[in-house]
Amino acid sequence: MVEDDPADARLVQRAFQKVNHGLKLLRLKDGDEAVSYLAGDPPFDNRLLYPMPEMVLLDIKLPRRSGLEVLEWLRRRTGPLRRLPVVMLTSSRHSVDVNRAYELGANSYLAKPDTASGLEELARSFQQYWTRFNQPPSL
Amino acid sequence: MAVQSIPLPNPSHLHSERIFRKLIDSVTDYAIFVLDPTGHIVTWNPGAERMKGYHADEIIGRHFSIFYPPADLEWNKPAYELKVAAETGRFEDENWRVRKDGSRFWANVVITRLLDDEGRMVGFGKITRDLSERREAEQRYRLLIEQVTDYAIFSLDPGGIVRSWNTGAERIKGYKAEEIIGQHFSRFYTDEDRAKGLPAQMLARATRDGHAETEGWRVRKNGARFWSLVVITAMRDEEGNLTGFSKVTRDITDRKQLLDQVRQHAHELELRVAERDKTNAELEAFSYSVSHDLRAPLRAISGFTAALQEDYGDKLDETGRDYLDQVLQASARMNQLVTDLLNYSRLTRADMELQPIAVAAAVKAALAELDADAQHVKLAIDKRHAVVGHEATLVQVLFNLIGNALKFHEPGKQPRVTVTSERNDGTIAVRVRDEGIGIAPQHQERIFKVFERLHGQEAYPGTGIGLAIVKRGIERMGGSVRVQSDLGQGSTFTLELPAVDGAD
Amino acid sequence: MGPELKTILLVEDMDADARLLRRAFEKAAVHSTLVAVPNGDEAIAYLLGEGAYQDRTLYPRPGLMILDIKLPRRDGFEVLDWMRRQRPAFRRLPIIVLATSCAPHDVDRAYELGANSYLCKPQQPREWLHLAEAFNDYWIQANQDPDPIRGES
Repeated sequence: MVEDDPADARLVQRAFQKVNHGLKLLRLKDGDEAVSYLAGDPPFDNRLLYPMPEMVLLDIKLPRRSGLEVLEWLRRRTGPLRRLPVVMLTSSRHSVDVNRAYELGANSYLAKPDTASGLEELARSFQQYWTRFNQPPSL
Repeated sequence: MAVQSIPLPNPSHLHSERIFRKLIDSVTDYAIFVLDPTGHIVTWNPGAERMKGYHADEIIGRHFSIFYPPADLEWNKPAYELKVAAETGRFEDENWRVRKDGSRFWANVVITRLLDDEGRMVGFGKITRDLSERREAEQRYRLLIEQVTDYAIFSLDPGGIVRSWNTGAERIKGYKAEEIIGQHFSRFYTDEDRAKGLPAQMLARATRDGHAETEGWRVRKNGARFWSLVVITAMRDEEGNLTGFSKVTRDITDRKQLLDQVRQHAHELELRVAERDKTNAELEAFSYSVSHDLRAPLRAISGFTAALQEDYGDKLDETGRDYLDQVLQASARMNQLVTDLLNYSRLTRADMELQPIAVAAAVKAALAELDADAQHVKLAIDKRHAVVGHEATLVQVLFNLIGNALKFHEPGKQPRVTVTSERNDGTIAVRVRDEGIGIAPQHQERIFKVFERLHGQEAYPGTGIGLAIVKRGIERMGGSVRVQSDLGQGSTFTLELPAVDGAD
Repeated sequence: MGPELKTILLVEDMDADARLLRRAFEKAAVHSTLVAVPNGDEAIAYLLGEGAYQDRTLYPRPGLMILDIKLPRRDGFEVLDWMRRQRPAFRRLPIIVLATSCAPHDVDRAYELGANSYLCKPQQPREWLHLAEAFNDYWIQANQDPDPIRGES
C-alpha cells in the first residue's frame, strides 16, 4: 500500500486486519519510496526482508511522485514487474482520474469509502476477490 | 643479352690502367685472368691463386684446360667454351672445376671475348667464382626435401608441369619421379575437380596471393582417393617473374575420417536431442490440451449435476439424490487426478526460475491452502531459514507432504503433524513428521513413483501422483527428498534444498 | 453506483460454461445484464457495433468484459491485444479473463496484454456461485468503472 496520509493508512490497515486471511499489508509513504521498493533499490534490496508484493494498493495524490506516475513507471518495466496487479485506492472519484488510471494500466479502481464500515466492506470484498479468486501473475 | 667486350688497356690510359690492374690484383674472391686466343693463360690474380692453388709463376703460359675434370676434357669442353665466347662474345657455365691438388669445386665461370680497337680478337677474360658452399647448401636442402616421406613436395613449372618429385610424393601419390616429371599436375585431381577447373584455379590463386591452400580429395596412381591438405606456393625470381610453383601435399585421410566420424556422431546426437525436445514439447502440448479438454466436460458434468441436485433435488427420492452424489464424487476425484497430472507435467518444464524463499512463508502458504486441517500442524521453523527454489513448486511440494501427513492416520485418531527446519552445511532441511500409519520399508522407494498407491480409495483417497510431484519438484530445484518410516511408527519426510547464504 | 444495469459482455465458446456462469450470476443476483458472444470475431463486432450488433438498445455498450482465452477464430489473447494496442477507444474497458487454463504462461501473458484480472473456471460446482458472489461484490459493487467507451461504437 502506498499511502501518504497516516490516518488513512491506519484505517485501511485496521479494516484489512479485521477481515484478514493471511494478507499482509506493507505501507510506503510516497511514490519515490514505492518505486525504490519495487525496483529493489537500497535499502529495499533484500527480498527476504522486503518481499515482492503480490499486489499494489496505490493512492493517486502522493508526495514526490504521484500514484499515476508510479503506475506508468511499473507498466513500462520490461520484466515481470509490468504485470504486477495495481489497484488504485484513492479518495478521488473524478472520472478524469479514473479514466487516466485505467488507460495507464490500472487493474482496478477503488474509491475510499467515507465510513469505517464501508471501508471494512470494501476490504472484505477486495480480500475475497483478489486473494481467493483472482489468479495472480508470476513475479 | 647484349654482347659485351672489354677494351684492352690503351697506352693513352696508362694511369687508369694501373689503377685497374691494382683493383684486379686486390680481388681475392674471384679468379680473374686473361687467356690468349688459343686458351693459354696470360695473367693471374690473387683470387685465382687462392681458388685454384697455382702460383702465377707456375701457371702463366699453361693452357686453361688444366682446370677441367677429365669428363669435360674427353669431349673437349674447353675448346667448345672458347668457340662459343669467340662467336657470341660470352660464355657462362656452372659446373665442376679442378684445383691444383686435384680436388673439385663448384664454379660459376664467365668467359668474355676481348677485342682490340680494330675489332680483332686478342684473347679472353675469364672470371671464376667458387660456389661450392652455396651448392652444398642447395644439395642438403634438395636431399632433405627428397627424403621427406610424410609430405609430397614437388615443383611445377608456370604451366603446371611437374618438374621435381620427392620420396613423400612417390609414397603418397604412387608415381615414381621418372613417370611423373613432365606430366601435368592436374592428373592428381578427381574428374569432378578437373571438370570444374580446380587445378587452374589453384595456380591462379597462388599466382595472385603468393600461395593457395585447400583441403580436398586427390587421386593416387592406382585410382584410390585420399583426403589431402595442399599448399601451393608461387616461386618467383629476383625480378618477380613467375618461375613455377612448389606444391606440398599431405595425406590427412585418417584425420579426415576421424573428424567425419566425430561430425557424424555430433549430428546424430543433435538429431536425437532435437527429436527428444520435439517429443517433450509434444508431450507438454499433449498433457496441456488433455487436461484442458478433460476439464471442460468435467466442469459441465459436475456443474449440471450440482444444478440438478439443487434445483430439482426435491423431485427425487433418496436413491436418486444418492446417485447424483456418486456422480459428483466421481467427477471431483477425476478433477483432482487431472489437476495433479497437470501439475506433474508442468514440473518437466525447463523454465523454472530459482530465487530465495523464506521457508516459513512457503510453509504458511501451503497451510493456507489446507484450510481447516492446518490446525493439526505444529511449526518449529527458524524465521531466518531461506532456500533457493521455485516458490510455487515449493509450496506445492509442502502442500502435498503436509496433506499426506494429515491424511494417513488411524481412523478416528487426531492427526499430529510437525514441520521443522534445520540448517546443515550449505542446505536447509525441512522435515514433515506425522504420527500416522507409517510406510513399510519395502514400499518406501515405490511411493515416489507416479500412480503408486498403497491404499484403496475407500481408506485413503488419492491420485497416486502427490509424492511423484514432491520428488520431481524437489529435484528440479536441485534438492532431494527422503523418507524415514516404519509401519505404525509414523513417517518423516525430509526435504533438503540449497540454503541462501547469510540467512542462517 | 447508479441504479442502471451494467452490461457485461461474455466471450465464451463453451455453451455449458456460459450457462453455468449465467446460472451462478442469477443465483448471486449479480446486478448486471450478461450478453454472450461465442468467439473473438463476434466480440470485436459487438464492441464496434457492427453487423448483427448495430442496435445499441438490444446490444448496449458493455461496462465490463469477461473473456475466455481458448476461443475459435480470434482467441482471447488476440482480442486483448486488439483492444489494448490497436483500438485505444477500448483501452480502459475492464477485462476479466475467465479461462480453463491457469498455467502461469497463460496468466502472465494475459496480464502483459492488459487483462485486469484472471479467473480460473471453477471445477467445483459450488465454486461457481462463490465466484459470482465475489465478482458481484467486487466488480459490480466496489469497483469504480471508467467512463463508457466512445467514438468507435
